[in-house]
Amino acid sequence: MKNYLLKERRYVLVLYLLIFSMTNVLGQGTAVTGKVTDKSGVALPGVTVVLKGTSTAAPTGADGTYSINVSDGRGTLVFSYIGFENKEVAINNRSTVNVQLGDDTKALQEVVVVGYGSQLKEEVTGSVQTISTKEIKDIPVSQVTQKLQGKLAGVQINQATGKPGQGMSVRIRGQLSVTGGSDPLYVVDGFPITGGIGAINPNEIQDITILKDAASTSLYGSRAANGVVLITTKKGTAGQTNVSFSAYRGIQKVPERGRIKMLDAVEFAQFKKEYYEDAGKPVPEVFQDPSRYEGKNNDWYGALLRTAPIQSYDLSITSNKDKLNTALVLGVFDQEGVVLNNEYKRYSARLNSNYEVSDKVTIGLNLAPSYIFDNTPRTDGDRGTGILFNALHTWPVMPIYDENGELTLFNRFPAETGNIFAYPNWVRAAEELVNETETISLISNAYVQYEPIEGLVLKSTFNVETANSEFFFFNPSTATSSINTPIPTTAVSIRDNSKSLTWLNENLATYSKRFNDHNFELLGGFTNQRFRYDRARIQADTYADDRLPTVQAGLNINRSGTYSGVEEWSLTSFLSRLTYNYKGKYLFSAAVRSDGSSRFGEENRWGVFPSASVGWIMSDEPFLQDVSQVSFAKVRASYGVTGNNNIGNYTQYALVNNTVNAAFGNTVAPGAVVTSLANNNLGWETTKQFDVGLDLGLFNDRVQFIYDFYKKTTTNLLYSVQVPQESGFTNFNDNIGEIDFWGHEFALITRNTEGKFNWTTNANISFNRNKVVALAEGIDRVYGTFHITQVGQPFGQFYGLVKEGLYMNEEDLNSSPQVPGRSTVGSIKLRDLNGDGIITNGGDNDDRTIIGNPFPDFIYGITNNFQYGKFDLSIVGSGSYGNQLLVRHLYSTANLDGVFNMVEGVKNRFRSVDNPGDGVFGTTVGGGNVTGIERDWMSSHFIQDASYFTIKNITLGYDVGAITKFIKSARLYASVQQAYVFTNYTGGPNPETSGNRAGNGDGGNLSQGIDLSNYPVPRTYTLGVNLNF
Amino acid sequence: MKKGIILILLVGATLTGCKDNFLEVVPETSLSSATFFKKPADFQQAVNAAYVPLRSIVNDRAWLLGEMHSDNTYYARNPLFGATEQQEDIADFAIPTANGVTSNTHVLNQYRLDYQIIARTNQILASIDQVEFSDKAMKDNIIGQAKFLRAYAYFELVRYFGSVPLHLTPVPNREEAALPLTSEEGLYTQIIADAREAASLLPPKSKQEEGRATSGAARTLLANVYIVQKKWAEAETLLREVVNSGEYALIPEYAEAFSNSTGNKNNIESVFEVQFLEGSAGLNGNFLYQFMPRPISPGELVTITGTSNPQPIDGEGNNIPTPDIIAAYEEGDEREAASIGYITLSGSAREDKVYPYIKKYAKPHALHNNHGMNWPIYRYSEVLLFLAEALAEQGKEGEAADYLDMVRNRASLDDYSGGDLLEAIYHERRVELAFENKRWFDLVRTGRAIDVITAYGERVKANPQAYYYPEGSAPRSHVFSNISLYYALPADEAALSPYF
Repeated sequence: MKNYLLKERRYVLVLYLLIFSMTNVLGQGTAVTGKVTDKSGVALPGVTVVLKGTSTAAPTGADGTYSINVSDGRGTLVFSYIGFENKEVAINNRSTVNVQLGDDTKALQEVVVVGYGSQLKEEVTGSVQTISTKEIKDIPVSQVTQKLQGKLAGVQINQATGKPGQGMSVRIRGQLSVTGGSDPLYVVDGFPITGGIGAINPNEIQDITILKDAASTSLYGSRAANGVVLITTKKGTAGQTNVSFSAYRGIQKVPERGRIKMLDAVEFAQFKKEYYEDAGKPVPEVFQDPSRYEGKNNDWYGALLRTAPIQSYDLSITSNKDKLNTALVLGVFDQEGVVLNNEYKRYSARLNSNYEVSDKVTIGLNLAPSYIFDNTPRTDGDRGTGILFNALHTWPVMPIYDENGELTLFNRFPAETGNIFAYPNWVRAAEELVNETETISLISNAYVQYEPIEGLVLKSTFNVETANSEFFFFNPSTATSSINTPIPTTAVSIRDNSKSLTWLNENLATYSKRFNDHNFELLGGFTNQRFRYDRARIQADTYADDRLPTVQAGLNINRSGTYSGVEEWSLTSFLSRLTYNYKGKYLFSAAVRSDGSSRFGEENRWGVFPSASVGWIMSDEPFLQDVSQVSFAKVRASYGVTGNNNIGNYTQYALVNNTVNAAFGNTVAPGAVVTSLANNNLGWETTKQFDVGLDLGLFNDRVQFIYDFYKKTTTNLLYSVQVPQESGFTNFNDNIGEIDFWGHEFALITRNTEGKFNWTTNANISFNRNKVVALAEGIDRVYGTFHITQVGQPFGQFYGLVKEGLYMNEEDLNSSPQVPGRSTVGSIKLRDLNGDGIITNGGDNDDRTIIGNPFPDFIYGITNNFQYGKFDLSIVGSGSYGNQLLVRHLYSTANLDGVFNMVEGVKNRFRSVDNPGDGVFGTTVGGGNVTGIERDWMSSHFIQDASYFTIKNITLGYDVGAITKFIKSARLYASVQQAYVFTNYTGGPNPETSGNRAGNGDGGNLSQGIDLSNYPVPRTYTLGVNLNF
Repeated sequence: MKKGIILILLVGATLTGCKDNFLEVVPETSLSSATFFKKPADFQQAVNAAYVPLRSIVNDRAWLLGEMHSDNTYYARNPLFGATEQQEDIADFAIPTANGVTSNTHVLNQYRLDYQIIARTNQILASIDQVEFSDKAMKDNIIGQAKFLRAYAYFELVRYFGSVPLHLTPVPNREEAALPLTSEEGLYTQIIADAREAASLLPPKSKQEEGRATSGAARTLLANVYIVQKKWAEAETLLREVVNSGEYALIPEYAEAFSNSTGNKNNIESVFEVQFLEGSAGLNGNFLYQFMPRPISPGELVTITGTSNPQPIDGEGNNIPTPDIIAAYEEGDEREAASIGYITLSGSAREDKVYPYIKKYAKPHALHNNHGMNWPIYRYSEVLLFLAEALAEQGKEGEAADYLDMVRNRASLDDYSGGDLLEAIYHERRVELAFENKRWFDLVRTGRAIDVITAYGERVKANPQAYYYPEGSAPRSHVFSNISLYYALPADEAALSPYF
């Protein structure tokens, strides 16, 4: 810690010298000189000396002396220096003023932002982790959450899709809810935002604090169960004005490695030829000679990808002088996607200001407008809808370009070739379909703070967040993203516009007092928040001319796609917290929040969320003070209750749908139906969490170790419980069940070498587990399409038949359980779990079982920073171990009927008893009746281990130093993002992906871990520069 | 200091407003039950919605469970396609059944759709008396329609499944969502009570809004129930009332008895039919497309549909007339050509590439996969055949033959010429009502189902190519292994109900 501060001082010194060397020249009047020393008389260089109430200032030199011009001898000099207490000395007409500065014990310690306030890091009793954006500034990505990958213990951050600006999943301590949403609460400068965090320019952020345990989060009450991410935006550093500019440019590419290996045109034709030969049928003419496709391969997947540029520019001006503290950040971010016609642009600004009106009153205003433009083709989705999946399994013998070099419209082979589906041209689908979203948003915070007596702070804030989003979709008649849609197709336009407005008023009083060895802080307050979202969607189709996609030019308005909607909620809360410590080493904190929410049923409207925590800084005790190896040791424990209110807005009401219309004769008659049952008792999900942790600093803090164990129980999960439909209803919204979560988190920060070669390592590993303890009364399992959630097991496990291999010969077939009427020699052999001699998929004689787990055994991250002279190098890695993915595309890409293009592995399929292949893929003979078992029945055939370790980022920087008078410092760097993925997973390019389904029993988190062959995450190479003026 | 606190509290209080109101946020874009069922027009809307599940029943399910599950129609196997077991199992009498339940999705959906009608009508019947109606006729009409629809839904359920849960009031909470099974007898008691009340409350066809349930429809339904129960005299009385009402007549041309996409709906022969409307309102049908043999090219399809935007259809065709039904038409029966057409499919894997298809509903319409032909539930010709059967069963053979001949003559056939009169009536029902989802119910109620289907199964297995299997394809090994009079209850419902 001390070394760190010394370095900081040097840095500050340099800056001051640079800044003040100019201002000094301008000084006039009498000079006051003197020397500044610390308590032991050592000279302090770099101390700022300011004539109070003016902008006149001077730094001390290397010998601690200073000289400042004053107009007369009546003023007061203010001496300030990081790590020391400020001192004010009246000049009293002296010409020499020597000063001794005392240590500022408070400033020596790091301060962290916590919920509704800040605390000395040492005295924190909850489980929190803070990251300064300085640590992650070079990572060339659009979203701040991407930058955090691998950095946080106990936080799993996955990039499910490579779409720019989208697709990040953040799970703190493995938290999940059935349908209630599992994203943490994002709080920007004290304001729990309702829009996405992805829209915020990462360069506006100063630091990020993750609150993990209940003691840290419970002040966010009914929204805290998924953890809280506190974001503090930039502010000026005391006494300084800083102007900096940073920029990077680069290119992105999808690496060849990791792409799914598909058959090429010759191999595909060969497969088809063999298919007909093996079935004893005549080979269609087009496949009789596979070599005719030599040099005529069509890589449909590759045709959708490109090398794309990325660039980012940020200008930041911060100033904290006199009574005004201002930060201005302007940003431009422009990323073209690696999929054709994909673009993401963000223009953002942030102006943070606060002004000390008087000694007692401060006012502040933050304004952060942004504009985002996004055009994302329909890349992701299951077969038939996502163009990447569609391209993957399109026949490689089908031409992308016709003989004139034009893109084909669509391809279809004669029916006798087994071509069932018409394949539109996916390149056209990417390039010609419009999928534009423009979003203008504003986040603002305004506050007034009043300190009537010392220690008492009254603060009232008013926060507003608003967003206006316009989505425009146009599908011209020449292209489509859906399989089997002949061209020309019906042209369709969709306009989907929405606006949202949230306001939050908070009124807080904080009183802190220290007497003797007792330190108190008491917080109380009440808040109100309201949210409203309005949406209007118009879908028109059947256009005479693709060039004019107006609403009125559409011959038909699609009624089911045309609607408007309103979503609203409100929340009233009361909160209070007591923090107490004795001698700064026996720590205690207790907090309670009470939330009243419009989302909850009348009978259950108010929830109370209490928490308490204790800590003990053992290293301050005499018995450890002599143990020189231990520089810091703290044990802490906490327990508390939090809630999750992400349950939708009107779920407690019985709703009537009045668009269930009937026809009588040729007349439409409006019809109305009660579509849901009312539940006045509906409430939030409750999570009770216990946490115990140890913070250890060894060898003068060169080794820091943090450990946490947590155990959580979530009850009253909101779930739309299926009811028998003899009731006329499908589901009933209820609070049901119980899930246990527990885990261990370890973080290790070491300074391995110091001096000219500086090397630090920051590593973390977390083990998160969950188990379903109870579901609804009378329900012990929920079946999804590919998953089961079952009492006594972890959540959402893959569920299906167990693949044994293939029936290798007649004897094997006859001596093994079979699927009656379907199993043949060479077809997939499944395990007969119930021993009835028959393989059954579902129903009462089910042979299915749990065949995989989408949750990892552990997740981990490691960052190494090296510095040698003017060079710095940073390597960030993150990984996951022991989780499985369902390789969904295999139901198409291993469809042995040759309906689609297939993965390379089918070349080694079973062809005969003498040519049995490698046992992975079965025989093609027998058609769908035989091959359908392998393809359509969920089995371990589709499950693959998806453990990975990804080198997320490598950055090499060089400190150029001052370039001109105006550029005080410059740093150049080169960076590679998503540098390399170590994995054995072959199901797709992105082992971090996790799709889910939306059927009955599939919703939300019930069906995680499906690889739909989403947008790949590109590798990005950038060159960047940071300049300070 | 005090001033500051007061100021902040004031600001806060102003913003907070009245707390209870602040937290009371009701949906703005959806009606809630608290505000609905308060005025007569609400009930009119509610009863309209109770008809809606009928569309899906006849468009997607009833022909699978009532027609393809008989010797009248079969599927046209397309070996390129998998995931077709659900329909095939029904046509092949190979529905996987264990412990009285089945996972077949069509069985499940039929069950659920009937209960949608029941829940919607229960909601009406439970709350209508709490609202003042100035127009008593309107209230009677609504109650009558609700009771007719509830009776019809339970009548379907009892014939498909035997015993099912009997819900007569809206389900108030999750605990009461499931009820124990009620016996067939108990169900029939309720069906008869509802249908009888509907018959007395509903106006005759001429006084009722087109397409809605009428007293004639309710009487025909009730007579159908009595016929199933072999209460011939009761059936005869009701059927005579329908015949004598003067509301109905046979249309001279058989082919003209069926609605067009936009016209000839609810015509004089129609007693009750399910209403469709072509266009973008989502009230259209597409059953004609489901009945098409495939793969069918746009050029082939357009000869049947006449649409402006024909598109190819893949997959496996369903509800294809069997050689058995084709053979059942007598020489000179005009109904054969009106009911069955033929099409040659160039993409077919079969050697001769020719398939029959159901023609009686094949009326031209504007857009692909979107047509407005109504689906007949009861036609006047069935009333006549019901009456003939009820009379014949009571030994009134002469009069019975008169009614039978009315139907035969319309099809340009001569009078019934002797032989077993009942067999002749059954035969007449088969060809007159072919593809109207009557065949399976008729086989069951007349006690012939097991024999007829067993023999039919033997024919399919002996000569699969005659039943549209392409050369080289054969029926699955377990076809015709589960011939039973009732469908097993749906497994998905069983999983949620403690009672079965």
